[in-house]
Amino acid sequence: MIKLENISFDHCIKCTVCTIYCPVARVTHLYPGPKQSGPDTERLRIKNPELLDISLKYCSNCKRCEIACPSDVKIADIIQTAKWRYSKKELRIRDFLLSRTDLMGTFGTLFSVIVNFFTHLGIVKYFLDVIFKIPSGRTFPNYASGTFTRWFKAVRKQQSTYADKVVYFHGCYVNYNYPQLGKDVVKVLNALGKGVILTKEKCCGVPLIANGYIKKAQSHGRHNIKVLSSALSDEKTKIVSASSSCTLALKHEYPNLLELDNSPILNTIAYITQFILEEFEKGNILSLQPLSYTVAYHSPCHLERMGSAAFTIELLRKIPALTVKILHSECCGISGTYGFKNEYYGISQSVGNELFRIIEEAKPDFVVTDCETCKWQIEMNTKYKVVHPISLLAEAIE
Amino acid sequence: MRYDCIIIGAGVAGLTAGIRCAKEGLHTAIISSGMSALHFSSGSIDLLGYRDNTVVYKPFEAIDQLTGTIAQHPYTKCGKPLIIEALLFFKQECELQGLFLFDNGNLNHFHVTTLGTLKPTYFSQRSVFNEEVYSRFKAMKKIVIINFEGYRDFHPQLAAAQLSKHALFANCDIVAKQIEMPQLQDDGKHPHEFRSVDIARIFEKEDNIEKIADVIRLAADDADFVVMPAVMGITNFNQIHNKLQSRTRLLVYEVPTLPPSILGMRIDNALKSRFAELGGVYIAGDKVVRADITDDVVNAIYTNSHPENPMEAQCYILSTGSFFSGGLVSEFNNMYEPIFKLKLHHEPERNKWYNQNFFHSDSHGFLQYGVLTDESLHPYDSNNNIIQNLYCSGAIMAHYNPIKEGCGSGVAISTGYKAAGQIVNLLKHMS
Repeated sequence: MIKLENISFDHCIKCTVCTIYCPVARVTHLYPGPKQSGPDTERLRIKNPELLDISLKYCSNCKRCEIACPSDVKIADIIQTAKWRYSKKELRIRDFLLSRTDLMGTFGTLFSVIVNFFTHLGIVKYFLDVIFKIPSGRTFPNYASGTFTRWFKAVRKQQSTYADKVVYFHGCYVNYNYPQLGKDVVKVLNALGKGVILTKEKCCGVPLIANGYIKKAQSHGRHNIKVLSSALSDEKTKIVSASSSCTLALKHEYPNLLELDNSPILNTIAYITQFILEEFEKGNILSLQPLSYTVAYHSPCHLERMGSAAFTIELLRKIPALTVKILHSECCGISGTYGFKNEYYGISQSVGNELFRIIEEAKPDFVVTDCETCKWQIEMNTKYKVVHPISLLAEAIE
Repeated sequence: MRYDCIIIGAGVAGLTAGIRCAKEGLHTAIISSGMSALHFSSGSIDLLGYRDNTVVYKPFEAIDQLTGTIAQHPYTKCGKPLIIEALLFFKQECELQGLFLFDNGNLNHFHVTTLGTLKPTYFSQRSVFNEEVYSRFKAMKKIVIINFEGYRDFHPQLAAAQLSKHALFANCDIVAKQIEMPQLQDDGKHPHEFRSVDIARIFEKEDNIEKIADVIRLAADDADFVVMPAVMGITNFNQIHNKLQSRTRLLVYEVPTLPPSILGMRIDNALKSRFAELGGVYIAGDKVVRADITDDVVNAIYTNSHPENPMEAQCYILSTGSFFSGGLVSEFNNMYEPIFKLKLHHEPERNKWYNQNFFHSDSHGFLQYGVLTDESLHPYDSNNNIIQNLYCSGAIMAHYNPIKEGCGSGVAISTGYKAAGQIVNLLKHMS
């Protein structure tokens, strides 16, 4: 039986608008586009799973098709679900490792000096390429020498002195790769008079979904919903995240893709720039120093999917003297772990070319974006440094 | 989030309104759920093409006549002077983005449809109509209609056969030709899989143009005029058109294809870029689902992605389109406007919604259905009260038939422009 709520493919009128705006279909003929991989062939797969066309694996789950669709078809969700429901499971060490961000992170931060040294060595990259099919052209993000949560232990007491609290879902990137962003978040929230609470969170599940580990993603999801909702019941407060993809997972992927009930937390989760703007509108306004930079703002696909890019743009405009050039919305191509795989690396790079070109054209002092993997991709392919909007805000507070 | 003005819907009406508001310094946001009907349009701007099933040659005279007889028509609510002002505004804003719209002064002109019929319209892009085409048209001896081998969304034989029947082309030889574009085979994709956009992207690559031009030149033989499907690029179409014409030394002319419409996407691009350039906030892929109204004033609206976070503005414009784009919803035996539950003009009996004969000259009832508004484009709620800070524009409005009258984009531009103007005056007056 087809579940009634899963027939959004039936609303497809075959207008092809999704395929026009698909960044992958634009650069390669290997991918027939979201219309064909999603709603067109879904009806066949429902009839007979043998009719699966494996070319849907080229979907990078950027969700631009869903933004473009005039008929509200959940195209990317259909494709992701079909990917894990119908395709044959093969054990791939690479996909296992790429998707276990917290396992790798725990190891990486413990031996960060050694790990960072080796992942930048040409010979190591060569072997990763040959054995694990991880492209040697790809630059790896560095691991931090200590986790964000360890740093947080030292300030936890002080956080409890604030009357108002906010639950912060930091995500793996902040914890293992870039604790400074987490520190900036704490600084900004404190400046707004909010104490920060952390929970015993697990990876949000985005890389697990992308690599087909749906059961594992579901168990992470259930865990996160549990710990976040129990934190909420202790304190009447909000959950914020500064990672666009983590926020998308908590809000959308949990109910739509993983079929989890996230209603206890759904309406309290906000992407951080939205939360801060709402505080501003309540009169809780940060006094900001002028920052006389010219920045180019790139809106990540997943932030756009949530309709939240406007919040970041609005917030950036509140920083005095800052010149913000809004880049034409383009996918950077990395799409999480997609750009870390040999079979997609070329596509990933070609997708990003247009964005790299318009960044160079804008000649900013640096680039601003909300997403960690967009940051890696842009820093690897242009000469510009990439800064998170919250780090910029933290700088303006000084 | 608080704005001066929030526009719901990003079609021609919403974008025209957005550009005017942003240009006047209002803090403006447009919320769009999915791409607009421009992607399925001819890419020409129809002002008024037909009255009583006959072709209109002088649209402004016909508008005079229309506004004198149909009190409820959106054009009557706008008035001719405002319509003229709105058209000029639209043309100039597009020009600032490098999209040149040509008109025939006070007259309509005709563009060739994908089936080879002639359709009256008011503005066309340079590659579809321009002074040179107009002046050299009568002396034309031979026209070649070309298509690219494998491309399935355009059929030159059909267009040629249809065009030849027309009295205007009685002394002209019209030939259909297929040409092979070597670039199509390059990446291993079968040419049958290409849509207009794929071919347009091949045109956009600079190194390809000269080769394509040479193939076209060869196919044109002794013709002086070449007609091709509209695939000359989405962004750098001016350069492509110039290059093609100068290298082939021919007049090259574009005809709209089956969707996706490249001509429409150019307008969509130009309007969105202009809006962004003026500081407007464009929120894509989110859908407004409900509104909070007290005492006939909209306090806030809520979207699918942020069901608990109000978006507030002093004024709102509803330009969500008709049934196709979800601005109006029909069920088995009722219809409604989903966001504000506005009062609609429609026949209650389902069998009156449509005509049994699809191509009947009376057209279909539902095309005239929509939201009722007053002179200032304020809609009425179900209790017949005017909602004071809400305006309507474009296809959601009742009492006109965009297909039968050939006036869809003209109405969208005029009402979008008017709604924005009302808001600008109101907010400037308040401050």
